[in-house]
Parts: sequence; C-alpha cells; structure tokens
Amino acid sequence: MNICLDNLTVNFDDRFQLDEINWQLDDSQHWVITGANGSGKSALAAVLAGIGEHISGTLSGVPAKVGIVSFEAQAELIEAELKKDDADIMDVISAGTPVYEILNPGNSNQQLIDELVEKFSMQSLVNRAFRKLSTGESRKVMLIRALASEPDLLVLDEPFDGLDAYTLEMLQEYLTSLVETVPMVLVLNRFDEFPEFITHIAYIDDGRLQHQIDRNDSKAYNELYQLLHLKTTDLQVPAADPETAIPRLDPAQPLVHLNNIDIKYDDHKIIDSLNWTIERNQHWQLSGPNGSGKTCLLSLITGDHPQCYVNDIFVFGFQRGNGESIWQIKQFIGYVSTALQWEYKVGTGLRNVIISGFYDSIGLYTKATDRQKKIADEWLALLGMSNRADVPFNKLSYGDQRLLLIARAMVKHPPLLILDEPCLGLDDMNRQLVLALIEKICAGSETSVLYVNHHPEDQIKGIDNYLALEKK
Amino acid sequence: MPNNYFNTLPLREQLAQLAKCRFMDISEFPDGVEALKGKKIVVIGCGAQGLAQGMNLRDSGCDVSYTLRAAAIAEKRQSWKSATENGFVVGTYEELIPTADVVLNLTPDKQHTAVVNAIMPLMKQGACLSYSHGFNIVEEGMKIREDLTVIMVAPKCPGSEVRNEYVRGFGVPTLIAVHEDNDPKGEGLALAKAYAVGTGGHKAGVLMSSFIAEVKSDLMGEQTILCGMLQTGSLLCFDKMVEEGIDPGYASKLIQFGWETVTEALKYGGVTNMLDRLSNPAKIKAFDLSEELKQIMRPLYNKHQDDIIDGTFSRTMMEDWANDDVNLLGWRAETAETAFEKTPAGDVEISEQEYFDHGILMVAMVKAGVELAFETMTAAGIVADSAYYESLHETPLIANTIARKKLYEMNATISDTAEYGCYLYNHACLPLLADFMKGIKTDVIGRGLAVDDNGVDNARLIEVNTALRAHPVEAIGTVLRGHMADMKKIV
Repeated sequence: MNICLDNLTVNFDDRFQLDEINWQLDDSQHWVITGANGSGKSALAAVLAGIGEHISGTLSGVPAKVGIVSFEAQAELIEAELKKDDADIMDVISAGTPVYEILNPGNSNQQLIDELVEKFSMQSLVNRAFRKLSTGESRKVMLIRALASEPDLLVLDEPFDGLDAYTLEMLQEYLTSLVETVPMVLVLNRFDEFPEFITHIAYIDDGRLQHQIDRNDSKAYNELYQLLHLKTTDLQVPAADPETAIPRLDPAQPLVHLNNIDIKYDDHKIIDSLNWTIERNQHWQLSGPNGSGKTCLLSLITGDHPQCYVNDIFVFGFQRGNGESIWQIKQFIGYVSTALQWEYKVGTGLRNVIISGFYDSIGLYTKATDRQKKIADEWLALLGMSNRADVPFNKLSYGDQRLLLIARAMVKHPPLLILDEPCLGLDDMNRQLVLALIEKICAGSETSVLYVNHHPEDQIKGIDNYLALEKK
Repeated sequence: MPNNYFNTLPLREQLAQLAKCRFMDISEFPDGVEALKGKKIVVIGCGAQGLAQGMNLRDSGCDVSYTLRAAAIAEKRQSWKSATENGFVVGTYEELIPTADVVLNLTPDKQHTAVVNAIMPLMKQGACLSYSHGFNIVEEGMKIREDLTVIMVAPKCPGSEVRNEYVRGFGVPTLIAVHEDNDPKGEGLALAKAYAVGTGGHKAGVLMSSFIAEVKSDLMGEQTILCGMLQTGSLLCFDKMVEEGIDPGYASKLIQFGWETVTEALKYGGVTNMLDRLSNPAKIKAFDLSEELKQIMRPLYNKHQDDIIDGTFSRTMMEDWANDDVNLLGWRAETAETAFEKTPAGDVEISEQEYFDHGILMVAMVKAGVELAFETMTAAGIVADSAYYESLHETPLIANTIARKKLYEMNATISDTAEYGCYLYNHACLPLLADFMKGIKTDVIGRGLAVDDNGVDNARLIEVNTALRAHPVEAIGTVLRGHMADMKKIV
C-alpha cells in the first residue's frame, strides 16, 4: 500500500475545504494527524475513508477495506438508528438494532468480535439496542466494529476521547499489537496521548497540511508540540504585576510623537524631516528596505540612539532631553529584535529571563518577588516550557529564545510593544510559533503593537496603520 | 619636580588613608543622581572612558557636554567626532569650563598637570573637579583651589564595558573617593555617589576608598600580577615550549588564550577554584611550583611596593615622561620583537580543560602573583578589600586583553602608568626566574603530566587543599564575590 494525495483539494458540503494537500503514507508508517480545533484534521482523516468531494488533484492507493472510527461516523449510525424508529412500517414499537448486529455487519470474524467484546467489557450489552447505549458505550461499539473488520487501513479519529483509564490503556496495548499487521492513522490533539508506535506526525492548520515530521526528529517534534500547545491552550496571557505597575499615562497624549526628525552620519541623511505620531491603542506596521532607517527610528523611540537628545521627540509624557533617564522611557516599552537576541547571551534560567522584563535589563540583577516568579511561571506554562524553567537560556534553540524574549517584553504589559522583525532568521515552524504567540498577545491585552517586517506573509491580525520608509 | 602629596603626610595619616576601603551596599544610594540634577557636567577628553561615562550620565538624566583642546576641535579629531556624532555639545575650555558645576577630568594621567593647570583658573567658584585616578593629586602633589571640591570616581573596567553593562541595565564595580583637603562644602561624597549611580556603578558594587589607597594599590596591582606577571610569564613559557620542541603555533595559542581561560576559573571561585580545575597530581605540582615562585619573587614584589609607597616609582616614571618617554618607547619596541609576539596562534583545537592540563606552570604563576601582590599590599597597610580588587579581581580583565591581541593589545589598553610599571617588572623578573626555568619541562607547560593514573598521597592532598583555602585572599574573595553574586546573577 502506498497512499498518495497529490495536490488534493476536497470540499465538504461547502462547510469546509482542504486545500492542495500533498501527502504520502506507506504501510510501514503509523501517522498522527494533529492540529487545533477546526483546523481540518478530522476532514483529512475522513478523506481516507472516501468522504468529501474532490475538487482538484488526485487520491490514489487507498485500500478497499478502511476501518474508521469517528464522532461523525458514530453520529451517522445513531441517526440512522433513530430514523429506523420513526419508520412507521410496522405497527409495533421498534426495539432498535441490537449491538451484536451492529458489531457484525455480516462478514466480520465473529471470534475476534467476541474477544474484543470481552476486552471492552461489553458482554452485558451485546443484546441491548444500540440506540439505548451511552455515548461512551456506543464509542466502544464503533471501535470493536472497526477493529473486527480486519481492515487494511485503520483510521481512528480521537479514539481515546471519553474512554475510562482502564479501557484507554487496554486499547493502546491492543493497537500496539497491530503495528505489524495494519497501518494506522490516528487523529489526536494531545501529544501525551501519542502512542509509542507512531512514526510520523502531520500538522494541519486552516485546511492546509503545514508540517510532516518524522517522530525521531526530536527538534521538530518539540517545536510542533509547542506550536500545537500555543494554538490549543486555554491559557491566557498572564496579567501584569500590580506591585511593579507602570505609571499611568495621560490618555489625552499620544504615546509617541516624533517631530521633524533628521538623522545623518557623515553628511549622509538616513532620516529626513520625518513626522510620526503613535496614538494610544493604535497598532502600526513599519516597513522599508534595508538601510531605510527602520532600526534607527525605533532606537529614537527607545532612547538607544544618541541623537534622540538633539531631535524633537515626545515619548510617554517626556519631551526628551529634559533630565529624564532612559529607564523612565524604557519602562513603557517592550522590545524584541534580533539584535537583542544577540546581546542576550546569558546562561541564566528561563524564569529569570522573563522576570528581567520587569527591569528592562539583560540578565537579572535584582531579587525577584514571589509574585514575579509566579507570573513568569504562568508565561512558561503558556509557552509550553514549564518543565524547562531552570534550563540556561543560551541552551535553548534559536526559535525558543525568540519566544521567550517576546514573553520577556510583554511580561509587564507595556503600553507599547516593539517587535523588530520578530520572525527574522526563523524557519517556517518557528515563524508560525512566534506569530501564534503574538496573536495571542494582541488579543489579550491593551498594548499597542509596533511591528517591523518586510515579509508580506507574516501579517498580524488587527494592525491597520502603516509607515513605509524609503531608502535614501 | 612636584611634591609627592603622600610623603607630606604624617605616618599615622598615611596609614589611615591607605586603610580606607569599604564595600557600599546598594541601599546606600537612595537618592540616585539627585545631587547632580540641574548641575552642568563638562567632561574633559572624549576617549573610550570619557565617551562611555558621558553617555551613561546623560542617559541617567544628567546634563553632559564635552570640552576639548581648541586644536582637537579645529582639526575635527576623533575625540571631536565621537562627541558630536553622539549629539553632545562640544566646546573649548574657555567656552565650557566657566559654565560647569562639575568637571570630569578623563584625560590620561600624563596630561593631568597640564590640563588641570589650564582649567583651574576658568572654573566657577565652588565647583567640583572629578578624577578617575588619583595619581595627579597623590604622586604629583597637584594643589587644587581651596573653594573647589575634589572627588574621584573610577569604574574598574575599560570604557567599552562601562557603556555595555549600563545599556544592559547593570554597571561595573566602581571606586569612589573624596579628597579631604578639598571638600569645602562637605558635598564631595554626595556628588561622588550620584556620579557612580549615573554611570550604573551602584548596581555592580561601589568601593568607598581614598585617593591614596587607590593610587598605591592600583599601581602595585597593575605592575606586578596584572600586567608584569602575565607579560613575563608569556615570554618565559613560550620560549621554554619552543626550546622543548613544541609546535610554536600551539605554544602561542596555549599562552594567548590560556591566561584568559584559567583566570576565568579564578574569577568565579578564586585561587582555590582555579587549582581545583586541575587533576590531583597536577594540582599538587602547581602548588609546589607556586610556592617556589613566591619564594623567588617575594623580594621583587616588596621592592615594587616599597618604590610605590615612597614615591620612587612615580619619580622615575615622571623623569622618563620628561625625557620624551625614551625608556617606555624602547621597551614597547622590544616587546613587539619577542618570539611570542611574532608567532601567530596556530590553527589547533585546544579544549577549555586542556588549557589547565597543559598550562600547570601558568596556573602556578597566576597563583603566585595574585597571592604575593595581595600579601605585599596588605603588609603595606592597604586593606584586604582594595588588595583583592587590585590583584585577583582584575587579573581576568587583563588576561582578556592578551587573548584579543597578545601583549601589544594589553600594553595599548592599559594606562601609561601600568605600562611603565609592567616593563620595570618584566626587566627585573626575567633574569630572576632564569634558574627556575631551567628546571621546567613540558610536563608542566605544553604537554601536561604523563602519569599512568591520578593517584596521590592523601595526607599531601589534604595539606595542599587546606593551604589553598586558608590563604587570606580566599577569605575576602568569598565575601566580595558573595556581594557581587547577589547583584549579578549572570553565570
């Protein structure tokens, strides 16, 4: 068997569409399809069972006997049973189809069915009407039926959902005993439920197959774990620390007002008579080619550019150059950039890196309060890094470091969050991770986001103000 | 010849001044930069230290401008460029000094007399003059106008680090002092503290010292263990390895990066930790070698300290200044011609541990130098805190400059007083160690011990470990590194 989906687009009653799926499975592999709710993972599994209308592309190599268990299939069967009841053919009240008939549609191995009935502790229920079963019980019936059909491909959509611990363990063991005989495709959205025998993982998002990874690729596996975690977690962006609250700003004033800015080096003008105002609650995207002065402009806002003392700059209530310190400015800003990541070369633990955001420092030089530690731990939980709180920061992957620095920038809930090319240097998976985190932040706080990038595909929802710089 | 200020003091006052050094807690800086608020700070000189400190002070909310000699401005020299490109007001002495409430003299020691004589008549009544080194006051006996307050604020790191550490939200350890003869309004300490806060020093630890303690301990440290020992050790170890048939490229690399690697261990856990990085037989070997070195070199360390205390050192150096630096320039040229300096580091991999295992003699030299400098300084009345900072604490910083570009870089980076002292030490120490070096083989430098197993005698190991840990530099080091670790959680 070698199942091949080639550029396949499948429509499901105009309710949902899978787009341009390219996927190959051979019979030595066992796959998990995973993704957030509504991403299309059940749809992809259903395609293997022949469901959906093929719009374009091809599907080949699917064996004749596919055993499928899914909520949809279960619902369908139950609905069919209820229809039978309503069928006013005979003048008797239908008792409904008994479980044993459902279990063996005709050609299954009865001995195997009996064995499975025992394993699932369903002996007392075989004579009961199928429609009288509880959801969990009918689920078991579906599983037994699919397993007993001796399929050439087993497709199980969330098979462990709603099973008690004993049954779950039994089923996992049973599936493990089948690895040599039948290839399996499981739909699961919790990594801790992935059985040992799984060899490959397909990650689907928004109807597109985004990643296919080999389970032995531990780096990709961990990244996928985090991505799924960020996409599916109910955890929200942790609150700010009331004890180290940022001073309140006058709501009538803009966050930033740059007036007639001129920057030049050796008579070469980088920025020429620029005016820019960032009002509260505005999100901005700043773009422009290399050398157009993007980073220069940002550093005028953050106070890192020495020329901020000789330009007309108003930031967070301060007209620059009147005795304010840069720390008074920086307290209102969260900042992430590649340059920061290069500078942030410390061996301190992840928790401390996040806490350093309260102090705008690289490394932590102040004793953290218990509350700050708790908030940092909440961030680590959101990032799916709770088990790594004390790992040295410089031992993290590049992408994980970026996530952590975003958490650091956001930990104090600054009025302005500056993201200077936050996806720069990241591979596709990490890029999606970073964007997922930023979207989570944008949705869950009152922070204005200033986003710098020149990749049109890295859009962030909710940004509607644009400043484009040109190369001088 | 100017008068040596230290030598004009009675003995009891000399001892009292030498003994001044106290580690200040961060809680002693509640007023931040308040004492400098509304005051006009004018920096003289815009080299690495001047620019870094000025930028930090401005970012802390202070009003900073730069004054340069008229020629530097007219010719748009580097110092003028540095200051203007960073958005500072730059003016001549005549333009800016009369407006200044605080003048920061951040020029090299050698120019101090000329600079101070030029600016003093221009200074406002009751203003403050700040130094970052006490040489001019203590050794040259410069008399400052009575109405002026004189303080010292000396960050104990190169300018680039002073700036980088500030930007990351931290600072570098800083020494402050008030010249008691010039504190007419009693505001010297408040100003020095505010200045230390403005440069970020209070976060990394401030030492309250005296002009005298700073000069006498700084000179001693820099010319013996810090620069002198590392230079002498580099030359001796390199020549020995080449003589014994070790590849010159390997030898060059082992030394160039070896000092930095072994003193990194020193920085984190003192002499004890540096030796603990060795195997037990190698540790005992290093210990024995260092005991021998200490015995041979002790008279030399004593002589350096004596010459510094009684002014002989500064007098001879100033004579060379007056003689167009003939000695200094001659020595500088000689160093550039040494085999070590001329042999580039080879393209070989040396692991971090190998620098210890193959550099037992280097470890022994660092141990001997640190302990001798510390012992000599404390015997001369300098308190342990000062002696620790000027010996053990700064050794990794100097080792780092050798790692960058060998001895040339080291001598280019350090002050003119340090470079002069380094050559004096080197010239005396090379012949002093000649006999000792005859007995040295590649087991302690270049190849490592050739032992079948690492077995040692229990009693001897206990003796060595006890002796290492019992040295007074370890006791004060544990306390001071403890303060630092509380504040600096970077490992």
